Amino acid sequence: MSTSPATSSVTGVGHLLRLILRRDRVRLPVWVVGLGGTIVASALAVPPLYDTPEKIAGYARIVGATPVSYLMSGRQVGLDTLGGIVANEISQVAQLGVCLMVVFLVVRHTRAEEESGRAELLRSTVLGRHAATLAGLAYGFAAALLIGAITAISMLAAGLDLAGTLTYGTGLALLGVAYTAVTLVAVQLSTSARGALGLAGAAVAVGYLVRGLGAVEDNALVWLSPFGWAQGMDAFGDERWWPAGLLLGFTALLLALAARLMAHRDFGGGLLTTRPGPARAGWLLSTPFGVATRIQRGLLIGWAVGLFLLGMLYGAVIPTVPDLIASNPEMADFVGASGQAAEDALVDAFLGYMFLFMAVIACGFVVSSVLRLRSEEEAGRAEVVLATPVSRTSWMAATTGVALVAATKLTVIMGLGLAVGYGLASGEWDQVVPQVAGQLAYLPGVLVVGALAAALYGLIPRGTGLAWAAVALIAVQVILGQLLGLPDAVQAVSPFWHLAAVPVDDFEVVPYVSLLLLTAALVAAGLWGYRRRDAVAG
Amino acid sequence: MSVIELHDVVKTFGATHALDHLDLTVEQGEVHGFLGPNGAGKSTTIRVLLGLLKADSGTATMLGGDPWHDAATLHRRLAYVPGDVSLWPNLSGGEVIDVLARMRGGLDEARRREMLERFDLDPTKKARTYSKGNRQKVALVAALASRADLYLLDEPTSGLDPLMEAEFQEAVFELKDEGATILLSSHILAEAEALADRISIIRAGRVVQSGTLAELRHLTRTTVIAETDRPATQIAAVPGVHEPELHGNRVTFDVDSDHLDAAVTALAGLGVRSLAAHPPTLEELFLRQYGEDVPA
Repeated sequence: MSTSPATSSVTGVGHLLRLILRRDRVRLPVWVVGLGGTIVASALAVPPLYDTPEKIAGYARIVGATPVSYLMSGRQVGLDTLGGIVANEISQVAQLGVCLMVVFLVVRHTRAEEESGRAELLRSTVLGRHAATLAGLAYGFAAALLIGAITAISMLAAGLDLAGTLTYGTGLALLGVAYTAVTLVAVQLSTSARGALGLAGAAVAVGYLVRGLGAVEDNALVWLSPFGWAQGMDAFGDERWWPAGLLLGFTALLLALAARLMAHRDFGGGLLTTRPGPARAGWLLSTPFGVATRIQRGLLIGWAVGLFLLGMLYGAVIPTVPDLIASNPEMADFVGASGQAAEDALVDAFLGYMFLFMAVIACGFVVSSVLRLRSEEEAGRAEVVLATPVSRTSWMAATTGVALVAATKLTVIMGLGLAVGYGLASGEWDQVVPQVAGQLAYLPGVLVVGALAAALYGLIPRGTGLAWAAVALIAVQVILGQLLGLPDAVQAVSPFWHLAAVPVDDFEVVPYVSLLLLTAALVAAGLWGYRRRDAVAG
Repeated sequence: MSVIELHDVVKTFGATHALDHLDLTVEQGEVHGFLGPNGAGKSTTIRVLLGLLKADSGTATMLGGDPWHDAATLHRRLAYVPGDVSLWPNLSGGEVIDVLARMRGGLDEARRREMLERFDLDPTKKARTYSKGNRQKVALVAALASRADLYLLDEPTSGLDPLMEAEFQEAVFELKDEGATILLSSHILAEAEALADRISIIRAGRVVQSGTLAELRHLTRTTVIAETDRPATQIAAVPGVHEPELHGNRVTFDVDSDHLDAAVTALAGLGVRSLAAHPPTLEELFLRQYGEDVPA
């Protein structure tokens, strides 16, 4: 009598992992090379810049001790060593990058598969109930460890000491591991991939912000965030390993929760269930613009809430910025002023960076919003719309218009968030107009990126991924441009490089209007292309 | 007057010839069955008609206009049901129906209510929770609830249960009575047989046969089964008779429609005891077109 091999709830994980690697044979290398490459380049760029003890000491007192640095990169120890400087410089991109990477990769291979129905086909084969979750987990872990390893190797290549390197690399990898577990819980809760992305993305944002606020205030808040635990390993300081235990324990706890949720739900189901909708369409749905607005409503609300809170948190930090002058006299020398003037200069620098940073985040929104065109086309929904008297021009113009209008609204919302946060923290409410106006000074940079996505969609629909590459490039330019010593020709690719750095510099009309005109031209080019090409993938 | 006229239309995707010099004519007021196996080019043809794809060469006319250049204008007069219906997951079925109808320029409230009832569709469910059949029903109700001159239906009943399939056929007859023209792409032959006035069979991007069911049958052979007093030993000699099989007094053979008369006359001289003749079913026609053996 022949016996069939025993099956368990994880049977078939190997097959799934091979399928995942085959499907992501481009995507995974793009993440690893893009993120890893940025980390390597940044790590290697630091030593030549800080080649004397004086310069290193100056970094500790000036650059690494600003509220911006605390908020974005936390309180890195060992800033009077080369290792500490490298860690401080790369940690914003490395930590956020590794978290977002695992969120996107894991959702793609778990909830997105389940939602599309493809997982159902797989589940009908000899595949255990938990196999897909476990494969997603292994994939996320492997990707995180890979980034951790690349980071450690690049730090060694930069000539840093082994102990600090290992500690930092481990902390980074375990941060990715922890957020893999967070994502696996999120995919159990939401029935849609977008919802899961939203939940897990919000968890990344909360962790990052809590650590940042804790660092600015220098209090125990940092210990409520996985980002704080990873940093708490004190790489390039006195290296301690117990915070790694916090990361691992947190991971284990969430994985147990995910397994429990998984065991108690149906295939395709979640805890956040879908409610019935109206039987009739409201007045909003009478025009292509209205329909495009409604399709993106969830996305819009999520971003609006998130960016308002982000703005509030950053705004609330503003009143503490001048304290730096008091605690660090060298800072006054650094900004080239003293007294009130120095405080104002410091606040302006902080505000300018916040405006820029939030504008870059809004670029991510505008690209994903414009590229709904592509997903609508691929899903076959654009076809149904275009079979009505709605012309291609009006359909694409409506969706692009919704994205650009939403980006404008979000810009105002970010500025309001800053003003409200500042008002609550300082009791002064006279900065609402300047702060909203300041954020608006960066708007054309956001719009032109959305317009680029529209142009790509109309002219070379297979190349819409380039719009994301542009966002990544802009983020690198903004965060690391100076460190990497990028040539002007490369920096000039970023629209923000051309805009006046309000409020440090005075507003300039010419680049502002030029970018708006470029936006219009790119959108027109996209519409022109879309009218001429096949409207559905062959 | 022709509502749809495609002449010598070519559409390639890279090396694939999706449409290979395709000709198709659909007359005013007819239900035109558009038959072909998967991948034959049915959906590509419909997408060219919708102006979603631009033909590489050839001429296309629909409702008197150019489907590519006049797309939006022409779409005022047509309704479309895709074969693979995808809906916005966060909209309810009722909202989707209204959205599409409004974009098309308004809908008939009474018809909307009636169709929802006939197709037994709950309009308050979010699209993400609908099954394939229910998504199909949403698209059908959206198309049928608006008045159009031309209905392009691309495998509209895939995923529907037999009750709904019957409702669909009923609705198509009503549309036809109102004078609408319907292009019905399908590979469900019984459906086309029941509904279609004329039929075009597409194979590898080319229409290989077109005509009424009677005409198509006329072009092919009729199967005859007869019992005669004296064995029909000479039947093979009658021109147009194929594959005669003789078992005693019982004979079966296929005969070209043009020679049916001669064959029956030959049998008549032998003393016919029983005679059965049946024209090919659409399925047999279809399979024959694809070179398959058809059991008699």
